[in-house]
Amino acid sequence: MNALLEHPAVQGGVAPFVVALIVAALLGRTRYAWLAIVAGYATQVALSTGISFTPLSASRKILLLCLLAPLVGIGVDALVSRARPAAYALAVVAGLAAAWVFLSVLSQREGAQMWLQGLGLVAFAAAMVASMVTLRDDGLRAGVAGLGLGLAAGIAALVSASIGFLLSGMSVAASAGALLLVWVVSGRPVAAGLLGTLSIGVMVALFAEGALMLAQMPWYAVALLLLVPLAVRLPVREDASTFMRALFLSVYALAAASVPIAAAWFAARATVS
Amino acid sequence: MLKRIAAVSLLALPLAAFAAPESYTLDPYHTYPNFTVDHLGVSTMYGRFDKSSGKVTLDRAAKSGSIDITIETASINTGDGDKGTRARSRDEHLRAADFFNVAEFPKATYKSTKFVFTGDNPSAIEGSLTLLGVTKPVNLTIDRFKCNPAQGTGKERCGGNASGKFKRSDFGMKYGIPNVGDEIGLIVEFEAVKD
Repeated sequence: MNALLEHPAVQGGVAPFVVALIVAALLGRTRYAWLAIVAGYATQVALSTGISFTPLSASRKILLLCLLAPLVGIGVDALVSRARPAAYALAVVAGLAAAWVFLSVLSQREGAQMWLQGLGLVAFAAAMVASMVTLRDDGLRAGVAGLGLGLAAGIAALVSASIGFLLSGMSVAASAGALLLVWVVSGRPVAAGLLGTLSIGVMVALFAEGALMLAQMPWYAVALLLLVPLAVRLPVREDASTFMRALFLSVYALAAASVPIAAAWFAARATVS
Repeated sequence: MLKRIAAVSLLALPLAAFAAPESYTLDPYHTYPNFTVDHLGVSTMYGRFDKSSGKVTLDRAAKSGSIDITIETASINTGDGDKGTRARSRDEHLRAADFFNVAEFPKATYKSTKFVFTGDNPSAIEGSLTLLGVTKPVNLTIDRFKCNPAQGTGKERCGGNASGKFKRSDFGMKYGIPNVGDEIGLIVEFEAVKD
C-alpha cells in the first residue's frame, strides 16, 4: 500500500481524484462541492511532502495561501452581496499576496530586475484571479478551466524542472475532473462562486509563478496560461446536455492549455544547460 | 607592584602567542563537500558542490578549534549537467524547488560548535548544518588529518577528510522519498592554508 501511495501518479492524480470525487459526491448539490479542489490539492501535498509551515519558505507560503483561498472565498461569498467589486478587490489582494510569497527570492535580485519581476508576479496573479472569478456563476466553465489550467501549469512545470509543481497542477486538474464527472452524471453543475474560482485562480497562479521563480518556467509560458480561462468562454450550445457542453469546453480548454505547454517545452529545448 | 605585573606579563607573552588559535582559510580548489544518496534502492549516487569557502581555526594547545563553511548550492554537480535532448538535466532538477531550491536558498552553511581531539589532531567535529533555512546538528568524523609545515614561500597547509550523515527530510527536503533516499552521506575533502 505504501509503495502505491509513493508513486507520483497516485500522489498527483489518482488520490486527489478519489478524494475530490468523494467530497464532490457528498456535497454535490451545494456550492461547498467546490471544496473538492482544495481537498484534492491537500491530499497531494500530504502524500508527497507532508503539510508543514516552518520555516515559511516560498513553497510553504504557496501551500498556506492555497489552503486559505477557499476559506476567503466562502467568507466573501457569504458576506458580500455585490460580488463584482469584491471579486476585483480579491484579484488585487491575490496579486499582492503573490509578491509576498516570493519576497525572499525577489530580495536577492538586482534593483530593476526585482521590481520588474515583482510587478510581473502581482499582475499575473491578479489577472488570473480576475479572469477566473468572472466565471463564478458558471460552474461548468469554471470546472473545465480548472481542468485545463491544472494540466497546463503542471505539464509546463514538469518540462521546467519542477515535479513538485507538476503534482500540484495535476491535483487541481484531477479534482476539477472529479467535479465535472459528478455533474455530468447528475446533469446539474453547481455555480463556482468565489469559493471555486478563487481557489483555482490562486492555486494555478502560484504554481506557475513557483515554477517561474524556483525552477525554469519561462515568463511567457506563465502569461500564456491566461488563454485557458479565455478559451472556456467560447460559445457552446446551451441546450446541449451537460456531457456535451463539458466535452466541447474541455476541447477548447485543452487546446488553449497546449499553448503554454508548448512554449515551456520549446524554451527548455532551446536553452543550453 | 606594577613593575612586577609588567615583568610577569612580558614573560608570559611568548607563551600566549604560542597558545593562540591559528587561523586558516579553506582552499576552494581543494575543498569539496561531496554527498551520497540511495537511488531506487539499487545504487548509491555521488554528487558534490563545486564552490565552497570558509575559515578554520585551530588551537592545538587548548585542543579546540572551529570551522565555518559556506556552500554555494547552485554549484551542485552530480555528473548530469548537460540535458542534451531532454527538457532538463538532473542537476537542473536538483537546483529547483523540489530539492535545493537555490533561487531562494543560494547558500548552505556548516558551523562547528566543538572540535574533539585525539592526541594532537582533531578527530571529530560537532556542529550544525543550515540547509533550506533549517538548522540542525550534524556531527562529522575526521577520518584523516595532517598539516604540512610551511616550506619556502609556501604557508602551512592542513587538510583531511571528514564524513557524516543526516536525513534530508529533517531539513524539509522531502521530495522523492524513498525512491531518492532520505539519508545523505556527507564526505568533505578539505585543505586550508594558514593566514
